[in-house]
Amino acid sequence: MGVALDGIAIIVGDYGSGKTEVAINLALERKQAGVDVRVADLDLVNPYFRTREARQQLQSRGVDLVLPPAAYLHADLPILSPAIAGLLRSPSPLTILDVGGDDAGAMVLGALADALSGQRFRMLQVVNPLRPQTATVEGCLKAKTAIESASRLTVKGWIINAHLMNETTAETIADGYRFGQRLAAASGLPLVCITVPQALAAAVPAPDCPVLIIRRQLVPPWQQSDPLAKV
Amino acid sequence: MAKVLMKGNEAIGEAAIRAGCLNYFAYPITPQSEVAEYLAKRMPEVDGVFLQGESEVAVGYMIFGAAACGARVFTTSSSPGISLMSEALSYITCAQCPAVFVNIMRGGPGLGGILPSQGDYFQATKGGGHGDYRLFVMAPDSVQEAVEMVMEAFPLAEKYRNPVMILGDGLTGQMMEPVEFPDNLQKAPTNKDDWATNGMDTRGSDKRNLVKSLFLDPTALNAHNLLLKEKYARMQREDVRYEAYNTDGDYQALIVSYGTMSRVCRTAIDNLKADGVEVAMIRPQTLFPFPIDAIRQAVGREHCRLAISIEMSMGQMVEDVERSVQGRCPVEWYGKCGGEVPTPEEIMDVVRERLAG
Repeated sequence: MGVALDGIAIIVGDYGSGKTEVAINLALERKQAGVDVRVADLDLVNPYFRTREARQQLQSRGVDLVLPPAAYLHADLPILSPAIAGLLRSPSPLTILDVGGDDAGAMVLGALADALSGQRFRMLQVVNPLRPQTATVEGCLKAKTAIESASRLTVKGWIINAHLMNETTAETIADGYRFGQRLAAASGLPLVCITVPQALAAAVPAPDCPVLIIRRQLVPPWQQSDPLAKV
Repeated sequence: MAKVLMKGNEAIGEAAIRAGCLNYFAYPITPQSEVAEYLAKRMPEVDGVFLQGESEVAVGYMIFGAAACGARVFTTSSSPGISLMSEALSYITCAQCPAVFVNIMRGGPGLGGILPSQGDYFQATKGGGHGDYRLFVMAPDSVQEAVEMVMEAFPLAEKYRNPVMILGDGLTGQMMEPVEFPDNLQKAPTNKDDWATNGMDTRGSDKRNLVKSLFLDPTALNAHNLLLKEKYARMQREDVRYEAYNTDGDYQALIVSYGTMSRVCRTAIDNLKADGVEVAMIRPQTLFPFPIDAIRQAVGREHCRLAISIEMSMGQMVEDVERSVQGRCPVEWYGKCGGEVPTPEEIMDVVRERLAG
């Protein structure tokens, strides 16, 4: 079951929830399914492990990536490219905004309120229940309130990204899925998808929601990133 | 406790709390600001204190003050911030106060960049401040080891009444890894009555404790320096730590590398082994005291004909490797700085080239 998304998808979540890896894989998966995709790196908060580090992989598959000017790629300055507002006013079939972590990262969305008004968009919150601050339903709801208040937008669904990096097991995914069901019930919002690492795809029983296969692209220098899906 | 996924910077903050350290003073700087962000939320939950200083200079002396009172205290910063704290480090070391400093290194010199680097090796191990002083320096290679080292750092600082520095780099702080914290929390010791300025009433004593770093009498200052010197020699005798990797094989070269750089070397060593080239590694876990004996013994193996210091700096560790090798084989260097981390392929090429050359 593919992750059917269109319009503008705004990916938010707690710091370290895996937003960027989700955004990259979502873009590649939708592109593979024949949808034209653009990604905008809106992470103004953290200078490490950002979408821009996967620009070659995205561009090799024809995913359009909007970045700050090259001279500022490695800066930790809050630069919001004017191209972003333009991109939102004339969106492609799917536009993914990869937003920085926490409420601090989501604050940038306030600056885009004008550009977003009248557009079809959906803000989705990524949750990794293995992160201490989102290990409980209450923790996730608290984060949701903070992000909504900073962005002045409303979260419309959950993406459960349960993993422990290289120590992820099928059980991690199954526990994460059950957590996602509880979170969906408590919040009244849908479970948009769960993520499953490529290596575990066969070992995890199919859930009652779409699955996004993760081919990890943001890895430390001593590890190889996962090969992209065959074209 | 079950494993959780944490960023190095967050895990360092949590580890300090678990080590019974409830006093944290700091000033934000990339790439370690998440420690302050994390502890700003977390310290109030455990009745601890986080106070942001008006600069790193101020933070250094806040640490001195709390340490002199006998409290467990720590700070975190990144390269330029540690430069500003170096005056206080010299004073604190002279006054023999225990404290923990974490440096999540970024590219230098100057304002430099914000990506990973190991350019503060000299600053940490040879002293960035003035006078004959040494820090006890530990270098973790993973988030888990960063947690363990932070928790060990406080007892070590108290054992020697000397600051301990944890030397990480931007990757140590920013990467996320599964981590497990010990269930038992440490408690800060209360046996500091013989020296700390913790209040005569509190300790029920009529003896005044004095913490100072001024010795105007030259004979007294010389004697004090000899006392410090003996302490550094004791660190070398009792607390050297290192990891030996692939040292069982019939290796031709020895890599010396620390921190996250050593993880790239580890991948390179595994790949070279698969190609039939045996290379060993000594990974110093303490940079001061340096694992001199372990390196000397490792290059003493029959077919080892080369030692290479691989670091994200321009060869700052080479002289420590040389004084360990003591002329038994040539000592070479490979590295990059500025934020580019050498890849496993680069390391493999360098090792092959140098062995052929």
